[in-house]
Amino acid sequence: MNKKNIASNIYTILVFVFLYLPILVLILYSFNASDSTSVLKGFSFKWYKELFTDSATLNALKNTLVLAILSSVISTIIGTAAAYGISKMQNKYLKNVTMSVTQIPMINPEIVTGISMMLLFVFVGSIVGSASRLGFGTVLIAHITFNLPYVILLVLPKFKEMDKNLPKAAQDLGCTPLQSFFKVELPAIMPGIVAGFIMAFTLSLDDFVISYFTTGSGFETLPIRIYSMTKKRVTPDMYALSTLIFVSILVLLLISNLTSDKNRKEMSKKAKTIAKVSVGSVFGIIAIITVIVLAMSAGTKTVKLNVYNWGEYISDGGEGSYNTNLEFEKYYEDWWYETKGERIDVQVNYTTYASNEDLYAKIKSGAGGYDVIIPSDYMLEKLYKEGEIQPLGKVDKITEAIPNIQYLNEQFKQMFVYPNEDGELELHGAMYTYGVIGIVYNADKLAPEDLDKIEKGEMGWEILYEQEYMEKYKGQILQFNNARDAFGTAMYYLGYNVNTATKEQWQEAYELLQKQKPPIVQSYVMDEIYNKMESGEAALAAYYAGDCLAMMENNESLGFFYPKNSQGVYETNIFADAMCIPKASQNKELALAYINFMLSEEAAVANAEYIYYSSPYTHVKDNLDYQIYMGYCDYDYELDENGEYVLDENGEPIIKLDENGEPIIVYFEDGGDYSTIYYSEFENKLGSMFDTYAYKDLDTAEGANITTQDLNGYWEGLKVDSGSFDGTIYIVCGVILAGIVAFAIYSIVINRKRRKLYWSNSPSESTQKTVEKDDSMSETVMIAAVKAENKKKD
Amino acid sequence: MNEKKILEPEGVASCEAKKIVELIDVAKSFDGEIVLDHINLVVKEKEFMTLLGPSGCGKSTTLNIIAGFVTPDTGDVLFDNVKINDVPANKRHVNTVFQKYALFPHLNVYENIAFALRLKKMSEEEIYERVEEMLAMVNLRGFEKRDVNLLSGGQQQRVAIARALINRPKVLLLDEPLAALDLKLRKDMQNELKNMQRKTGITFIYVTHDQEEALSMSDTVVVMANGKIQQIGTPTDIYNEPENAFVADFIGESNIIDGVMLDDYKAKFSGHEFECLDKGFSKNEPVDVVIRPEDVDVVPVDKGMLVGEVTSVTFKGVHYEIIVDIDNFKWMIQSTDYVAPNQKIGIYIEPDAIHVMKKSEFSNMFGDYSSFSDELEHLSDTNEEENGEDE
Repeated sequence: MNKKNIASNIYTILVFVFLYLPILVLILYSFNASDSTSVLKGFSFKWYKELFTDSATLNALKNTLVLAILSSVISTIIGTAAAYGISKMQNKYLKNVTMSVTQIPMINPEIVTGISMMLLFVFVGSIVGSASRLGFGTVLIAHITFNLPYVILLVLPKFKEMDKNLPKAAQDLGCTPLQSFFKVELPAIMPGIVAGFIMAFTLSLDDFVISYFTTGSGFETLPIRIYSMTKKRVTPDMYALSTLIFVSILVLLLISNLTSDKNRKEMSKKAKTIAKVSVGSVFGIIAIITVIVLAMSAGTKTVKLNVYNWGEYISDGGEGSYNTNLEFEKYYEDWWYETKGERIDVQVNYTTYASNEDLYAKIKSGAGGYDVIIPSDYMLEKLYKEGEIQPLGKVDKITEAIPNIQYLNEQFKQMFVYPNEDGELELHGAMYTYGVIGIVYNADKLAPEDLDKIEKGEMGWEILYEQEYMEKYKGQILQFNNARDAFGTAMYYLGYNVNTATKEQWQEAYELLQKQKPPIVQSYVMDEIYNKMESGEAALAAYYAGDCLAMMENNESLGFFYPKNSQGVYETNIFADAMCIPKASQNKELALAYINFMLSEEAAVANAEYIYYSSPYTHVKDNLDYQIYMGYCDYDYELDENGEYVLDENGEPIIKLDENGEPIIVYFEDGGDYSTIYYSEFENKLGSMFDTYAYKDLDTAEGANITTQDLNGYWEGLKVDSGSFDGTIYIVCGVILAGIVAFAIYSIVINRKRRKLYWSNSPSESTQKTVEKDDSMSETVMIAAVKAENKKKD
Repeated sequence: MNEKKILEPEGVASCEAKKIVELIDVAKSFDGEIVLDHINLVVKEKEFMTLLGPSGCGKSTTLNIIAGFVTPDTGDVLFDNVKINDVPANKRHVNTVFQKYALFPHLNVYENIAFALRLKKMSEEEIYERVEEMLAMVNLRGFEKRDVNLLSGGQQQRVAIARALINRPKVLLLDEPLAALDLKLRKDMQNELKNMQRKTGITFIYVTHDQEEALSMSDTVVVMANGKIQQIGTPTDIYNEPENAFVADFIGESNIIDGVMLDDYKAKFSGHEFECLDKGFSKNEPVDVVIRPEDVDVVPVDKGMLVGEVTSVTFKGVHYEIIVDIDNFKWMIQSTDYVAPNQKIGIYIEPDAIHVMKKSEFSNMFGDYSSFSDELEHLSDTNEEENGEDE
């Protein structure tokens, strides 16, 4: 091998590594027994199993597939027809115009397409007067629209390549024009159609932006679902799903390559059969899915409830857990049948969002049609002030509407209660969860004196913000990658309240965060915090208590504490999420029933265990199962002399019983990780703290001295000169752009010069004719023959 | 040798033969541009007829009208003496071999040929028999399963012919079928096509712009220009007795000179009176005189009927091509003997070498080789000397 060869081989390998390494890592993690990205525990199909029990994800997958199939089939048909029309156009100018017009949507940024589509649908909906529900129909139209240009782009060249005489030849041999199209022209352009279809299919499959804007309540595609998981974290069954999708696309690609013209010629009979069978089976599967979907849509009277929640924010049946939505459907169907004697079909359309701002935008666009939404405190207040949500009921009669709200912890009873015009108090949100920000740390990485201080409960926010500590733990601190929480912690360190602080105080917090910027802060993170803390990459971070618990499960060195200020008082950001009914809800009764169901002991416990955030309900906190799950207490088990469990005949550990035959419960004296968080004295004071410590809507709250925009401005200021580009990158981009422009101008000028020359020198028409005549070759031979002929005559 | 054989007047698509296709006063224009200007044409059974002309002369349109792809604006198309103006292409008893074959790319050789029969819902056995017969005829046995896209040009050509002939049409239309082949292959295919036509007895209507092809294959040549038929005749007639300056120029090389017919058998041109074999013109009628380059004898100056100066000499293999300036008119002379450029020579023309034509719209447009040497400048470098004559 010569040097050149080695170099090109290395290059090829590098390209492959670059292209496929991420996917290989994804596949690797999909088989990881642990749910942590930092721990490889062993091979397991766990996530695949879980994937197939996760009804919401499966539903999203089904939606995505149905959408992809329908939109790609329809756009392939329309696109082929359009390409046919364009190819038959006589007027060249018109043809060019049509082609550019169809191709503009391809260059158009998706975000523009998405927003304009949404506006169009809402606008048309308001004209038609229908309840303008964005959903499957609108997403389908949007997908067809953005797929079309790609199909045309891929099919049109096939029409151009096609021998113009092909349809004539078919008719000549006896085809009617219609037969000629189906028997000859269509098969001749088939490779283009197949390519167009596959392109449209994959584009539709992974489109996020356009789907996001054009969907409404009740229709969620896979990309939207995965994106909205960011409030908690992307669950590993998504790795499994992504792996499956990648593998199927790979198979699809292989098939399409195998069946392509070029290979067909060299393919053996066997390979041909295999290809045919696999193509057949792919279409078979597609057909089966379609049939199932159609079958599913037929049936009894359907009542739909549109729930819009955070991603990963409900117990969804994964890992054998409680499937809240499914259970509600069953419960309500049964209840309806018992009380009204009629069978109905309840469908919870459960879709998810990633941030309060996303939710707000969706509600404000009028695209919603949601029945239950779960905003955070400040967003709830904002929506209330803007009249976007309706009261759940009057406070004194609220237990009639939502009986289970009686279990709401006394300390939270004042929350989300606003007076109506008559001065009567009305409840606007039924609390779902609440959370507190604390500090998670890696005990192995902290100095002993600091650990000691933490254990004594004397440590506060200074560990993140004081100069001494910042130097000590330089490069080991993680900071929130979101303005509210990052500024919140800084403000509490400084002793200011986020809702009443003056502009100067905000400025001070801003300067503090500036000081803390990298290299002191290792990076600004949200989801990545799991990986970084679990793997021991960082020592300290402020994060939500419930999520910290999840991290602690994967790394025993991690600890957690709530910071206190110098007066020994807890000061930190808190938030609460509550269930609300938007003004636009079409079915308040069902929505109330859903909310009540969510607060029932079984569902509430399941959700609290799933989400890990605190539950404000006493029947959850007092639930033994929950307490054991959260590590607050446990049964007293029989132990042998080695400290091992004594097992009964079924292999279950034996629980000690008291004199009444009741199991004995042991409460942990030191409290354990869980009780430090959920059963601390601090927790019991939280209710009264919300007014002060939870962010209010900065734009409307009394006493707030800055607006959300100002806050975002500070944040941008912080981020711009830290993590983002420095000047050189702009210069590089500028130079590249200028180079391209210069080259374009240069080539235009040169071309024009050249053309000028040959246009003036081009032969006139008459000489062209002569040239053509001379094309008829070798007359001489012929003429010789004629002469010979003449001679003979002579 | 082959050409010679073909030229034998056995193109006896004899006078008694039945008319198979007839165009009566057919006109067609596209976007206001006249493509066919009221033409009349009769094609007889078993005839090999060639429509010959430069591109844009209307020959392809004529073919398309017969095939049924183009409807004439006026005039009638008769097939077996029945008017078929309104019969769609798929119902006519004609089949076509297209310029670039137009084979169906998604079908293999067998299926391409079987296409027409399948449309007729024939039994598989019958189809098999007929396709095999066709394959045998075009020497493609064993190619059944081949992908047509992987065949050579000649093989594709044969498939296209087989596909068109499997319907056993009465008339086969061929639209420049050999244009895409290289020279050698084209020669072979010319023979093969001619043989095939003779064997099957099917009427061939063949369109080409290649005059050599037309002369060597046809029983009848129809020369077309500007949407009109300029001349219909056997290849020999067309070559020896061109109707007007266009035909004379388009078929072979010609010196076309302005002249006056002084009397029967007496023509005057280039300031000299010549004896000729033509008669029937009125006295002193201006005419076009055609003299083929090979019919001009180069003689010493003193023996020449006309005297000129050689401006260029090009070696062509069989002969030299000599451009001679006689009274500012550039003649082309083909001679096996070399003459040097700038040499003064005399030329001698036999009476039977002179062909006199009536003046036409094409007069003074062709026949002067003054631009010729410019065009082929790079070829005119030979400087050898030889003397002698072809005839």
